[in-house]
Amino acid sequence: MLTARNRKDKLIGYILILPSLSVFSVFMFWPLLRTVYLSFFEWNMVKPVKKFVGFANYIDMFQDPLTYKIIGNTVGYILILLALNFIAPYVLSFVLSVIIKKGQNIYKKIFFLPSIISLVVGSMLYLWILNPVSGPVAIIAKMLGLTFPVWSKSEGLVLVVLSLITSWKVFGYNFIVIFAGVSGVPKEAIEAAKLDNLPMWRIFIDIVFPMSSATGFYVFIITIVQGLQYVFTPIKVITQGGPNYASSNMIYNSYHEAFTLFRTGSSSAFSIVTMVLFIILLILEFKFVEKGVYYEN
Amino acid sequence: MKTRRNEIKWHLLLAVIAFLMIIPIVFAISNSFKTLPDAYSNILNIIPENPTFDNYLQVFNQLPFWHITMNTFLIATAVTVFKTITSFLAAYAFVYCEFKGKNIIYFILISTMFIPFTVTMIPNYLTISALGLGDSLLGVILPQLGDALGIFLLRQSMRSIPGSLVEAVYLENAGHARIMGDIILPLTRPAVVSTGIIFFINSWNEYVWPVLILKSQSNYTLSLALQTYVSQEGGTEFTVAMAVSVMTMLPPLMLYVIFQKYIIDTFSMSGVKG
Repeated sequence: MLTARNRKDKLIGYILILPSLSVFSVFMFWPLLRTVYLSFFEWNMVKPVKKFVGFANYIDMFQDPLTYKIIGNTVGYILILLALNFIAPYVLSFVLSVIIKKGQNIYKKIFFLPSIISLVVGSMLYLWILNPVSGPVAIIAKMLGLTFPVWSKSEGLVLVVLSLITSWKVFGYNFIVIFAGVSGVPKEAIEAAKLDNLPMWRIFIDIVFPMSSATGFYVFIITIVQGLQYVFTPIKVITQGGPNYASSNMIYNSYHEAFTLFRTGSSSAFSIVTMVLFIILLILEFKFVEKGVYYEN
Repeated sequence: MKTRRNEIKWHLLLAVIAFLMIIPIVFAISNSFKTLPDAYSNILNIIPENPTFDNYLQVFNQLPFWHITMNTFLIATAVTVFKTITSFLAAYAFVYCEFKGKNIIYFILISTMFIPFTVTMIPNYLTISALGLGDSLLGVILPQLGDALGIFLLRQSMRSIPGSLVEAVYLENAGHARIMGDIILPLTRPAVVSTGIIFFINSWNEYVWPVLILKSQSNYTLSLALQTYVSQEGGTEFTVAMAVSVMTMLPPLMLYVIFQKYIIDTFSMSGVKG
């Protein structure tokens, strides 16, 4: 379509992308290079002179035991977020689209509702709901003879709770995207398998999952990349990374280094490493997709 | 028979999840109309004992609330208008214009969705400060005038327009302005509207960037104002905080109730690649 365009046309193309491209150049590409540059210096955003330190920020980072704690936390966040916002919505999408079929729209609408609410509001609400003394969950636990722990002071648990708060917001979005993918699987394939008396869980694993995997992989990646950034808000609002860095992750730590400790060098090094990890994920996605994942359209 | 019972079990599970999604919002609304003693003694009661507007009145006493709401609104509106325009123009170019490097530029722009904000945070903070825009609404708005997701979503919706429609007008030797205005814009209006709504809601809720830029209370947005009420113990301002929460939720909730079908359809599309 629309081949053989003339030179004027080319120019128009460039003019139309110019506004977006300039914003991205000034506030995305240039800063990216500058962060790489800053990662080789010791600086505090105020001093007139930056001190060149070579790879010292990176070396320090990998020698600091705290780094491994934060990477461990990050992996913890990723696993919980994936369980709640990738596996769970995948299974439920399958259930809703293949097994029960009724009430699809109402569930979709309700699940999606928290996605439009600010995570600061979400943090505020959950801080009360999960208050270990006077929150409704603690009260119900008490009625059942259980004690609700002081989660914000307990390593491990704090990470689970902050993931839960974030999942409240993320689940619905992931659900409707995966649901669209699962609904796109040809009905004939599923019906044929049913006639073969294949059990439902086999239909899910052998047919629906592979045939919707392009969408699935997208959600998988977005859950990690966006999820870790979404968790930033409850961390900042509720725990500031504490107790003893138990709720910090790689995103929050970059922020903490830069704007609490004023160490732009180590913050930048941390950010760059985080980005490299995300890029590896992206490359994996392309590799995976090229390998002939079934495409919905 | 067995399958029926199975279905009921699944419905039960889905209903529980739906309940968990909604209940925090219900509690927030309920607490915002309670008196403080009522909120602390009848925790599980959804219906307030002596319903009161006091918390809402308190908000206006404690905060320059109109001002803060206007700040949030101004930022969200400016960001939405600019992002929608720049995304629409770029999406059009990527679908209907031929130019060198088109695919690679598109690929690079879309890849930025996977760059964590921490990578650009320090330089952008320095840029905004150098421009003298620290602690100003403009400083929040400026870095957000373009959007990769917007380009992606609008490009998707333009690609679904049958080529024959565009070709017919093109053969009449119509310019791009006419193709864009007479054909593409009317046909993609639902996608443009919902992309705009998504931009507005996201900007309204935004926290990370404003918290770096805005320092004085009179420049705060709602999320920043709400944050000042956070306290681990609950605190004496708890019901007032709930009122602020409800008012922060209200505009996105209203938009969602009105445009839910548009919003859900557009978001469903964001996972489908092409």
